[in-house]
Amino acid sequence: MVPEAGALLVVSGVSKRFGGLLALSSVSFSVEAGQIYGVIGPNGAGKTTLFSCLVGAARPSGGEILFRGGRIDGLPNWAVVSRGLVRTHQIVRPFRQMTVRENVSVGAHFGAGRRRGSDAAARVDAILEKTGLAARANALAGTLTIGESKRLEIARALATEPSALCLDEVMGGLNPSEIQSAMTLIRTLKESGLTILMIEHHVHAVVGLSDRILVLNFGEKIAEGAPAAVMRDPAVVSAYLGEDAPAEATS
Amino acid sequence: MIARPAPRNLPAAAAVVAALVLLLLAPRWLERGSLNDLWSIAFAIVLASAWNILGGFAGQISIGYSAFLGIGAYTTALLSLKGVGPYWTLALGALLGAAFSYVVGLPTFRLRGPYFTIATIGVSEAVRVYAAGVSYTGGSSGLRMPPGTFDFGRDYAAMMVLAAAVVLLSLWIRSSALGKALFAIRQDIDAAEALGIHSTRVKLIAHAVSAAIVALAGGLFAINFQYISPGSVFDFRLSLSIVLMPIVGGIGTVAGPILGAVIFSYLQIKLLSTPALRDSYLFLYGGLLMVVMLFEPRGLVGAWQRLQGLFRVPLRRKGVPGGA
Amino acid sequence: MTKLLGVLVDSLLAGGLYATMAYGLAVIYGVMRIINLAHAGFLMLGAYATFFLFTRFHIDPFLSLVVVLPAFFLIGVALYLAIVRRLPRSGATPSMESLLLLFGLWLVLQNLAYAIWGGDTQSILTGYTMKSLSFGGVRVGVPLLLVFVASAASLVVLTLFLRRTYVGKAIRAVTANRDAALISGVNADRISATAFGLGTAFAAMAGSLMSTLYAFTPDFGRSFLLKAFCIIVLGGMESAAGVALGAFVLALLENVFGAYTPIPTTFQDAISFSLLVVVLVLLPQGLPRLFARRSAHAR
Repeated sequence: MVPEAGALLVVSGVSKRFGGLLALSSVSFSVEAGQIYGVIGPNGAGKTTLFSCLVGAARPSGGEILFRGGRIDGLPNWAVVSRGLVRTHQIVRPFRQMTVRENVSVGAHFGAGRRRGSDAAARVDAILEKTGLAARANALAGTLTIGESKRLEIARALATEPSALCLDEVMGGLNPSEIQSAMTLIRTLKESGLTILMIEHHVHAVVGLSDRILVLNFGEKIAEGAPAAVMRDPAVVSAYLGEDAPAEATS
Repeated sequence: MIARPAPRNLPAAAAVVAALVLLLLAPRWLERGSLNDLWSIAFAIVLASAWNILGGFAGQISIGYSAFLGIGAYTTALLSLKGVGPYWTLALGALLGAAFSYVVGLPTFRLRGPYFTIATIGVSEAVRVYAAGVSYTGGSSGLRMPPGTFDFGRDYAAMMVLAAAVVLLSLWIRSSALGKALFAIRQDIDAAEALGIHSTRVKLIAHAVSAAIVALAGGLFAINFQYISPGSVFDFRLSLSIVLMPIVGGIGTVAGPILGAVIFSYLQIKLLSTPALRDSYLFLYGGLLMVVMLFEPRGLVGAWQRLQGLFRVPLRRKGVPGGA
Repeated sequence: MTKLLGVLVDSLLAGGLYATMAYGLAVIYGVMRIINLAHAGFLMLGAYATFFLFTRFHIDPFLSLVVVLPAFFLIGVALYLAIVRRLPRSGATPSMESLLLLFGLWLVLQNLAYAIWGGDTQSILTGYTMKSLSFGGVRVGVPLLLVFVASAASLVVLTLFLRRTYVGKAIRAVTANRDAALISGVNADRISATAFGLGTAFAAMAGSLMSTLYAFTPDFGRSFLLKAFCIIVLGGMESAAGVALGAFVLALLENVFGAYTPIPTTFQDAISFSLLVVVLVLLPQGLPRLFARRSAHAR
C-alpha cells in the first residue's frame, strides 16, 4: 500500500528487531489529521513497540516515519515531542514526588509549547479541569488511584500541546464508569481538533471511537480499515477476537 | 522530599538576604578566628549547594567535583602570578570550570545512575594524576600566590556574597522550569524525555552552572590560602565532603546542603584541633554515610519531615505522606 | 619479536590476577545489582592480612590464602547479614543507596587499616621476590608466575563450583534472570549472602596475591577498583570466562601502552582511568545493559 501524501502521520515499512526477535515487520499505515486511529492486536503483537518507534523512545530498525511532512524516525523522543507527537505510557510513569500540577507543568514547560510563567499556569489549569484532576492538583502524584494516574498520563501529554496523541491502553484497569468518562474525554479531545492514535484492549471502546483501525499480529499488519469492516475480516477474527472475545463481552 | 506543594520562595529569599547583611557586618563585632570559621562554613555551603544542583535536583551523583575546584584555584593562581588582579581571574576560572564540565558531561551523561558515578571517579582520578604530573601547575609542590594579593576582608565579603548567591540561585532553580526538568530527570528520565525534555542538555546546563560556582569558590580558596597544591585542592577529604554534605543534610532540597555544610564545617574545625579525631575522619565520614543510607537516605531534612509527620498526621490533608 | 612475546606473556599473567580481582565485583553485581565500592577496601585488607600472617607467623604469602579466603568469605557473609540486607532491593539498575552505603564501608575499612597498621607503605619480601625464570628469551618474575597459577586455579575451582553445585547453579540462575530464578524458588537471601561472601573472598584473595607484587598503603586498591570496573564492563558479568577475557584485554592494553608509547609511568594510571570512561561510554553500561534494554522494549 502506498500511503497517501498529505496525511498527518505516514508510516512506511517500519520494522523493529530486538536481537533475534522481529517485533515489528514492515508496518505501513497513515493517519489523517483529526482522526481517531485505533491499534489493536493480541498481547505481544508489537503495539507498544510501534508507539515507541513513532515517538522515538525506540529506534526503528528500518522504514520511514513522516509527521507533518518531516522525517521523524531516528529522532530522539524529546525532539519528536517538540514536533507535536506525544504518547502516554501503558504502565503509568508519574513523577511520584511531584504534585499533580507540577507533573502537568513539566509537559507545558517543555514539549511543543514551551510555555513559561503565568502562560504555562493557565494552560495547566485548563488541562487539569478538562481531565478532571483539578481537585487533586496539589496531591503528590504517588498518591493517586490508578484511574487518576491514567488521567494524569493524558494530562501531561496534553500539556505538551501535541497535534497527535498516542494513547497506550489508557482504559486498562479502569472500572466501567471510569471507562465511560475516558471515552467522553477522548471524544472531546477529537472535537478540539486533536489527532489520536490509541492502543486499546476494550474492543467495544475502540470500535466505538475509532475512524479507522489497524490490527497487528506477531508484528505484522493483518488488517486495516473502517472498524466494522475490520471486525468482519476473517484474519482478524481468527487471530485476535478468537482469543480475546471475553474482552468484548465485558465491555 | 522535593517540591512539596508550591514552595514559598519569598520568605526564604528574604531570610538569605538578611543573613547576608548580618554576615557582612560581622567583621565589626567578631575577631579574626571566628571570621575564619565563618569563611569555612560559607565555603562549604557554596560547594554543597552547587553540587546539589546536579547531584541533588537531578540525582546525578558525581564524585568528581574536586576537578572544578582545582581548575578555579589553578586559574587564579597561575594568572595572578602573571600579574593579573586575582579577582579578575575568577570569571575566567568559572568559565573554564563550566567548559570542562561540558567536556566531562558530554560523554558521561549517556550513562545512568551509578555508572555515571563510577565514570566521575575515573575522571577525577585522571585529573588529579595529571595535575600532579605536569610542570606548569608546579607539580606536587604546588603554587604560591604572588605577594600583595591577600586581603582577608575582601575575600571574606566575596565568599559571603557567593554563598548567598548560590542559595538564592538554588531557590530560584527549584521553582523554575529548569528545576522541574531536573526533578523529572531524577525521578524518571525516560518519562521526562517523553514529555519533551532534552535530558542531556538539561544535565549539561546544571553541570555547567554548578561547576562554574565550584570553580569560583576554588579561586577564592586560592586567594584566601595563598598556596595551592594537588594535595590541597584535590584533597580526598575535600572531594569527599562535597558529596557527603548534601547527602547528610538532605539531597535535592535547598536547606539540606546548608545544614550538611554547617555540620561538616563544625566537624572539620573540631577535627583539625583534635589530633585523635584527625586520624579518624574516614571512619567518621564513612560511618555517617552508612548510617544515612541505612536509616534515612533523604538525610536530616528527611528525618525532620518524618518527625513532623509523626506529630502532625491528623492535621494533614489526606494522602500526602513522603512519597516513594 | 621477543619484546612482543614479553608483552603478551606479561598481559596473560597480569590478566589472571585482574580476573580474580574483577570476579568478586562481578558476582555481587550479578546477583544483587549492587556496585560494591567496598571491594577496594577488601582488596587492601587482603593484602594486609597476608602481610600480618607473613610478618607475625612467617606464613608464606601464597600459603596464607588458606586462611584469608575462608576468613573473608565469613566476613562478607556477616556484613551482608548485618548491613547490606537492610537496603531496599535494587531494581534493574543498582540503587544509589547501595553504592553510597558501600562507599561508606570502604572509607571505614580504610580507616581501620590506618588505625592498625598506620599510613606507611608496606611490602612483602620473600626469598623468591626477586627471582625470575627465562622461557625462550622472555624473563618472567617468579612471584608473577605464582600469582598467575593461584589465580588460574581459583578461577577453575570457581567455574566448577558454579557449574556443579546447587548454590553455584542458583547464583548463575539469579545472575542470568533474577525474577525467573526467584519465582522458581531460589532463596534470594541465602544466594545473596553466599555471593557477597564469595565476592569479598575473591577481593581479599586478589589483594593477598598483589601484596607479593606491589607495595601497599591503606589507600591501596582504588586504582584497582577502577580497573575492575573496566574489566566487568568489557567482559560482561555473565561468566568467569567473560571476566577473564575482559581482564586480559585490559592487561594487554596497559602493557602495550607501557612498552610501545613514550608516556611516562606517572601517567599510567591516568590512562587506565580514561580508558574506564571511554569503555563505559562506548559500551554504555556494558553488555548486561544491552540485554536489559532489549527486554525492556520487547514488551
